[in-house]
Amino acid sequence: MKRSFSLFISLTKNWLRSKSGVFFSILFPIMLLLIFSTIFGGPAAAEYTLHVEDEDVLFEMELPDYETSLTEGDVDEQLRDRFLDEDYDISENAKMERDDKDWYISDGEERVYHLKVIEGEDLIEVYGLSKVFMEALDATENLNIEEVTNLTEYRKENGEFEEHRGLRIEEGFHENALNKSMELRMAVMQDTMVRIYGRFDMDDDDEANFTEGWDTLNRTSENISAQYGNITLYTSPGDQAAPIVRGTVLGVMDTFNSQMVGLEDSTVQLSEEEVGKDRGLEAVDYYLPGFIAAFIMSNGIIGVTSNISEFKRNGTLKRLTATPLKKEDWILANVAQQTVLAFLLTGVMILVAVLVFGAQAYPGPYSLALIFLGSVAFCSVGIVMGGLIKDVEAASGAGNAVAFPMMFLSGAFIQIETFPSYLQTVARLLPLYYFHQGLREIMILDNPSEAVMAFLVIGAFALFFIILAIKTTRWKDI
Amino acid sequence: MSKDIIEVNKLTKKYDGLVAVDSISFKVKEGEIFSLVGPNGAGKTTTVEILECLKMPTSGNAKVLGHDVKKDDDKIKKKIGVMPQDFNTFGRLSAEENIKLMGDLYGSGNLKEIMRKVGVDKFKNKKFDELSGGMKTKVGIGMTLISNADLLFLDEPTTGLDPHARRETWNLIKDLKKMGKTVFLTTHYMEEVEYLSDRAGILIDGNIEVIDTIENLIEHYGGGIKVNVLEDGEAVNIINDRADEVLKGEEGTWTGIFDSKKEARKALIKLFQLDSKVEVQEAGMDEVFIRLTGGKIDEGGELV
Repeated sequence: MKRSFSLFISLTKNWLRSKSGVFFSILFPIMLLLIFSTIFGGPAAAEYTLHVEDEDVLFEMELPDYETSLTEGDVDEQLRDRFLDEDYDISENAKMERDDKDWYISDGEERVYHLKVIEGEDLIEVYGLSKVFMEALDATENLNIEEVTNLTEYRKENGEFEEHRGLRIEEGFHENALNKSMELRMAVMQDTMVRIYGRFDMDDDDEANFTEGWDTLNRTSENISAQYGNITLYTSPGDQAAPIVRGTVLGVMDTFNSQMVGLEDSTVQLSEEEVGKDRGLEAVDYYLPGFIAAFIMSNGIIGVTSNISEFKRNGTLKRLTATPLKKEDWILANVAQQTVLAFLLTGVMILVAVLVFGAQAYPGPYSLALIFLGSVAFCSVGIVMGGLIKDVEAASGAGNAVAFPMMFLSGAFIQIETFPSYLQTVARLLPLYYFHQGLREIMILDNPSEAVMAFLVIGAFALFFIILAIKTTRWKDI
Repeated sequence: MSKDIIEVNKLTKKYDGLVAVDSISFKVKEGEIFSLVGPNGAGKTTTVEILECLKMPTSGNAKVLGHDVKKDDDKIKKKIGVMPQDFNTFGRLSAEENIKLMGDLYGSGNLKEIMRKVGVDKFKNKKFDELSGGMKTKVGIGMTLISNADLLFLDEPTTGLDPHARRETWNLIKDLKKMGKTVFLTTHYMEEVEYLSDRAGILIDGNIEVIDTIENLIEHYGGGIKVNVLEDGEAVNIINDRADEVLKGEEGTWTGIFDSKKEARKALIKLFQLDSKVEVQEAGMDEVFIRLTGGKIDEGGELV
């Protein structure tokens, strides 16, 4: 035991004096924790850029002819006449509003028309519902709308994923959306009349009026040849933000559609409540146990494998085998060193998480017990691999090949619910999954009884590999 | 009469059919410096590592301090000090920390005294990785000495050292003998064998060609004492009369080869009386090795 302790002290000092060892074992995990917690746990929602080309110009006006019409307040007659000439109506209460160099005609509540001044060409382009739709997109939390004149050309000139992401509002959007809304409104009216017919007592006059109204509605509806107002969304297959952008556009479309048919209210209401807030849990509290578990695993499988392989190559191990030291002492010293490293890593990561992100998670005795078992388990894997693989480079490569896939597939960094089902099955076969899940149950949810499976799996794993390490570590003919 | 501290009997080690050590037998006496000398690949390290219990013999047996190397690893390892070939240790620990670790592993040794004896105290706080080859060897010997063992194995301790560091190491090894230690040394430097050893065994291709005291080896296999006479006349007659073999050299020189030191001494007295110009070449381990193997070992340890 005294020999193990002396060797443990020497191994620890030797490790602490290695800048790269300390960096990859302690500082690197902290860097990742800071990065992940900042990206996914910041106060502001992520904002994704969406480039929009609006093809739906209602009509154009020569600027000099209408320069005097561009004044804030009531809409002047010249402008009203021009709109009427183009078959667009401006309400009596409409007002002119200015926003930077662009002008808007609002009906008192909403901006109905957008008068876009084209500099250098002395031209005003008039837009309708397309701009209303764009403003609705821009008003969402997670979309940043950037207008471009030609999406195809823009894509050719720019190569990034977000620059390939685009939305085209097709020509005729305003007209078609209005017509379609009329058609839908009439369909709703027809449906409503069918539903109420016969439910109320009607005298002959009522019956006649009802029939006349019904006929008028049918005649009008037959005359409307309505098409959809079309928009096209462009995304790259590799664009990770595409599903979020698509969902947001669909949400805005639904609201737009409802309002176009006169529905200001909805039939279903969604209430949202963030759970876990009673303990003040932050995103960092989710990542913390994942990172602790993942780096205890990688310190064992990558670090110990490489160290032991290097000690074998440079003769340090041979020097030790020539002393009264037994291989069990050697294994015990390595496990002890890794356990101390694991506790140190846990302590420093919690400290950083608390100071920087105000994390609320604390490791209790159950967490420490599970961390101890995890250290024993993964350090033993490293001892087995380092003992079996002769070449240092091969040992390091093998460590990486085992540790990195496990790190990402186990869901230590990403919730496995987002994985395809077969990968979820794979995740549940990995010991790291039980390790970080167990730590999360104990440290975050304060629910040690839910971590029984983690204790059983990691405990069995530790026992199996420590026995294997004793069996496979060669103390002769190395 | 010193007792035998190591007894090797028909020791054999094979690696995948390749014979590294081929049924060798020898004994090492208590208190001597015994050298196993040979080129790279001769089987020196394999032999010494079997005796250190780092390798298992394929057949034959060996006893170290009365214990069987196949069965008594624990007992033997507690009683021997070892400095392996290409010795290395924890690079980021200081010289002192490395020697102290060994002391802890053996549960023995006076750290300060050992550091002073081997000259480590002057650089005790320097990290092992930052030391020169000679300093590292001193640390290695310190780590071996702190075991308090009476039997020390030094496997090629001076390989790769510069001449000054090598000479310092030799002095350290001489001191070990004065301390009453038995030293089992392996090397490919003939000068080192001759300077340090009481006895030596020459190992070639896993076989011990010969084993004896250094004096006997030189006398029997060194090719005798060469006396070069640089002029003709009476001196040549003396050589012809007394030498075992006479060779005529270029430009009128003659060489008399004497197997016996006594005869060589008598001839030299006569020659000095004549005031002849003579050169005397005494044989060394280099000659012994050449005569026994037909080759030389170069600086890198290869047989040429």
